[in-house]
Amino acid sequence: MKQWNRRKATVLILVISILFLVTVAAAGSQCSDAARATDFSRKNLLPCLEYPFGTDWMGRDMFARTLKGLSLSILIGVLAAAISAVIALVLGICAATLGRRADGVITWVIDLIMGIPHMLLLILISVAAGRGLKGVIIGVAFTHWTSLARLIRAEVMQLKESPYVKIAGKLGKGKWYVAYRHILPHLLPQFAVGLVLMFPHAILHEASITFLGFGLTSEQPAIGIILSESMKYLVLGKWWLALFPGLALVVTVIMFYLLGENLRRLIDPNSAHE
Amino acid sequence: MKRKFAAIVCAAAVLCGSISGVSAKASEQDAAQKSEVVVTMTAASEPASGFDPAYGWGAGEHVHEPLIQSTLLVTNPDLTIGMDLATEYSVSEDGLTWTVKIRDDVKFTDGEPLTASDVAFTYNNCKENSSVNDFTMLESAEAVDDTTVVFHMTRPFSPWPYTMAITGIVPEHAYDENYGMNPIGSGRYMLAQWDQGQQIILEANPDYYGEEVKMKKVTVLFMDEEASLAAAMSGDADVSYTASTFADMTLEGYSLLVAESVDNRGINLPTIPEEERDGLVIGNDVLSDIAVRRAINIGIDREKMIENVLGGYGTPAYSVCDQMPWYNEASEVSYDPEAAKALLDEAGWKTGDDGIREKDGVRAAFTILYHPSDSVRQALAEDMANQLGQLGIEVTTEAAGWDVAYDKAQSQPLMWGWGAHSPMELYNIYHTAPESDLAEYSPYANETVDQYMDEALSTSDLEQSYELWQKAQFDGETGVTQDGDCSWIWLCNVSHLYFVKDGLQVAEQKIHPHGHGWSIVNNVDQWEWTE
Repeated sequence: MKQWNRRKATVLILVISILFLVTVAAAGSQCSDAARATDFSRKNLLPCLEYPFGTDWMGRDMFARTLKGLSLSILIGVLAAAISAVIALVLGICAATLGRRADGVITWVIDLIMGIPHMLLLILISVAAGRGLKGVIIGVAFTHWTSLARLIRAEVMQLKESPYVKIAGKLGKGKWYVAYRHILPHLLPQFAVGLVLMFPHAILHEASITFLGFGLTSEQPAIGIILSESMKYLVLGKWWLALFPGLALVVTVIMFYLLGENLRRLIDPNSAHE
Repeated sequence: MKRKFAAIVCAAAVLCGSISGVSAKASEQDAAQKSEVVVTMTAASEPASGFDPAYGWGAGEHVHEPLIQSTLLVTNPDLTIGMDLATEYSVSEDGLTWTVKIRDDVKFTDGEPLTASDVAFTYNNCKENSSVNDFTMLESAEAVDDTTVVFHMTRPFSPWPYTMAITGIVPEHAYDENYGMNPIGSGRYMLAQWDQGQQIILEANPDYYGEEVKMKKVTVLFMDEEASLAAAMSGDADVSYTASTFADMTLEGYSLLVAESVDNRGINLPTIPEEERDGLVIGNDVLSDIAVRRAINIGIDREKMIENVLGGYGTPAYSVCDQMPWYNEASEVSYDPEAAKALLDEAGWKTGDDGIREKDGVRAAFTILYHPSDSVRQALAEDMANQLGQLGIEVTTEAAGWDVAYDKAQSQPLMWGWGAHSPMELYNIYHTAPESDLAEYSPYANETVDQYMDEALSTSDLEQSYELWQKAQFDGETGVTQDGDCSWIWLCNVSHLYFVKDGLQVAEQKIHPHGHGWSIVNNVDQWEWTE
């Protein structure tokens, strides 16, 4: 009875987090204009019914800006994490299957990238790729694949030694065939969870690089932009400019984390039958 | 973190002040403090290359009096020319030779007399090395005797006195590559201490030849806006610069000083249709229509914009040089949205279904660029977009760093900031650039305007040159104003704001130029504490 409840709760949380994220993404994409509209007759308003998150020094609706910013973040996070996960998958499998030398090179690259401070590398790549949306996506995509790649490599190495893969090899199946038909399906759960758990990282990094001024440009209502703009007004006691967008970012990140964790619980063989 | 850092700096400054007065009695200490002042400035105001006029001290992008050095001439509060080292000056008929007589009683702070050869050395050195200011019109400077210096020019240049008013004279005998760090001059102050990235302490020159320096010690702290505000809140700064965002705060023991400025903001309007030159897009199909440019100029409510964006701390701008002696009052326009709409209608810009005007399939739409870290410029651009929307012109805003802004401004308006104590600014903005048929910062050309400015440069009489500069703006038929080509639109002059401690009398300010920095202390020697 208890176990059934737990599974149900897991599914419920999963559905709630997916609903939340989809709603935010959809709502955000609907209020692009509202997020940018300025109206100096309503500047610096405290949160009220009409403007639940208040307005800023140019009379922009912070609620619309926050929604739009979150949906931008989610878009960037999903795109960058997806690219990143694909890189991780390909390199992880290559490392495990293409022999010692390939493994050496790929492991070395992973160690190298993990050795450089994350933020620094992210800024470098993003600036080199021309800043803006493109720069951030490329920057995040090329810095976040390492730990997942390592995970996949280890998993594949383990799978390679497993009896059914060995048998398939002995039966004369080619390397690619084995990788595609036998190893890849087994990897998918880890891969899916790794992908989802990469979202919150990607979103936080997008926000921080933009906050530092190396990401999106200031006419775009990204969360990083909103937070860095609000810094100046905190001195003046305009707390709502930073508080609500910051909280919203945290909630979004937590939702992604819950999504990933619960997804793992459902499809990880170790916990799927709890 | 920054505030913490600033607090430490302030604390250190106060500590230094108190240590120096430890042995003195309390009353003496009070008296000493009454001739000391602590001023905050933006971090960018710290002279990166030191106090060397050849590398931009005083004579740089943002002009101000060099304090440590003397200048030949000075600008008066009304921005006409007065004397400092010079006793008289004249220019030859052809404008190619300037002769300046200087006083013979001036000594550098190391005791050596200041002679005409130091003056000649300074200018020749600036010509060779200055990368910041324009000295290309100078052929060479020559000391004829101890008190006479002659400038040979490559071309006539009537605003030369304005250059002479900002170029500090350095001692030939004590000048080397490290001069900027250990400046010796003959001005009102000596550099006592410089902690890079933090503060500069100036002490009065006891042998100063001019009026007695009343403020004996000036400490300049470099910090950002928030830290400057904190310094005023804690009482550590006597004069603390601030921005309109903070101006409505009431700080006990401080009052707000509003210094009028010619620190203007405006946008360039490309006057030619879009085309591609050397891979660069120049011109704009909407703004090349003069009716659109004129409609924008009168369709903008500048007062409202100043109220919205600057909290009222600004004055409407109608030219790059409002209130300067060379300003032409014909630049002024009054806000008239109906007339603006009529202008657009007349020119064939018909309102479409979505409320945006169109003409021959071209939408009345353009982008205004602004610098990403400048919230005032961003807000001005946004307010302008709102106001122009009412006229049926669609404006979007876009951030552009200086690395790309100059190129982009060739085809799209950019929110600029200008305003200097020299008519050369008119030349830089409106005159066609060398080896080009268009002006440098925005595609524009008008032969008549060019001609007036060339004449203004070559005239030998400064008064007469003012008149020609005015004619370049508008001569009754053509020019750069509303009734002329209207190739730039000026929005507002941003007042420079300071929190000033009660009891401190800040002497009358000249109209501040662009750059919220050293201008405030131009006359710090005449500031006074009163009870």
